[in-house]
Amino acid sequence: MKISSKVTNGTLYVALYGELDESCATYVRSRLDALFDTPKLTKVVLDMAGVTFMDSTGIGMLIGRYKILKGKNLPLLLSSPSAVVDKLLRLSGIYELMPKINF
Amino acid sequence: MDNYMTLKIKAASQNEALARSAVAAFCVSLNPTVDVLSDIKTAVSEAVTNSIVHGYNGQDDGTVEIVAFLEGTTLHIDVKDEGIGIEDIERAKKPFFTTKPDEERSGMGFTVMESFMDELIVENNVPHGVVVKMKKNLGADTTER
Repeated sequence: MKISSKVTNGTLYVALYGELDESCATYVRSRLDALFDTPKLTKVVLDMAGVTFMDSTGIGMLIGRYKILKGKNLPLLLSSPSAVVDKLLRLSGIYELMPKINF
Repeated sequence: MDNYMTLKIKAASQNEALARSAVAAFCVSLNPTVDVLSDIKTAVSEAVTNSIVHGYNGQDDGTVEIVAFLEGTTLHIDVKDEGIGIEDIERAKKPFFTTKPDEERSGMGFTVMESFMDELIVENNVPHGVVVKMKKNLGADTTER
């Protein structure tokens, strides 16, 4: 899994590329948590468009990130998941916690 | 039985992609849609993850066996491990139930398998471990147009 990020006007944009499962969850978790320490953030957008596969390990990882950001008063948004990832995200009900946006 | 495959992998998370891709490749002969293939890959990934993370407690030690077979247009997938087993299978199948909440586990694995496949049976393996048996009909879909 590859990760790229940028900060624009206080918004941290993180794009994930590849397959998100148990084999990379620990790496993604630590990379994201380090990025969340960027000073003066107002919100975080995770760009899911490049995620080609995800299972429920990804759901657990996302809920964990939501909790950390909630502790920092930062909203988390999920951007542009593919149809297959969107199906899993909808099933999990996770959009109640982190709304979906499309660019 | 029209066709079958057996795959044995070390219970390590880097083998999850191999397991789900192998099963997806196995059923390509029935011309499943991309959506159906994706459902199958997700369900296999959930079952294999359970064996690795819970059955073998993430120790990278032990074997997970994936058997896939076709009966007509029905795909059967059995995922077996010889790990610690599940104390209360009915409770484990409940959405959001997890024995590892401190590891950020969603507790959604069996719910995903149930939703993405037509049938899910979870049994204790003999003498120990778990067998997850899943079915999905890959025949002409008459329910959606």
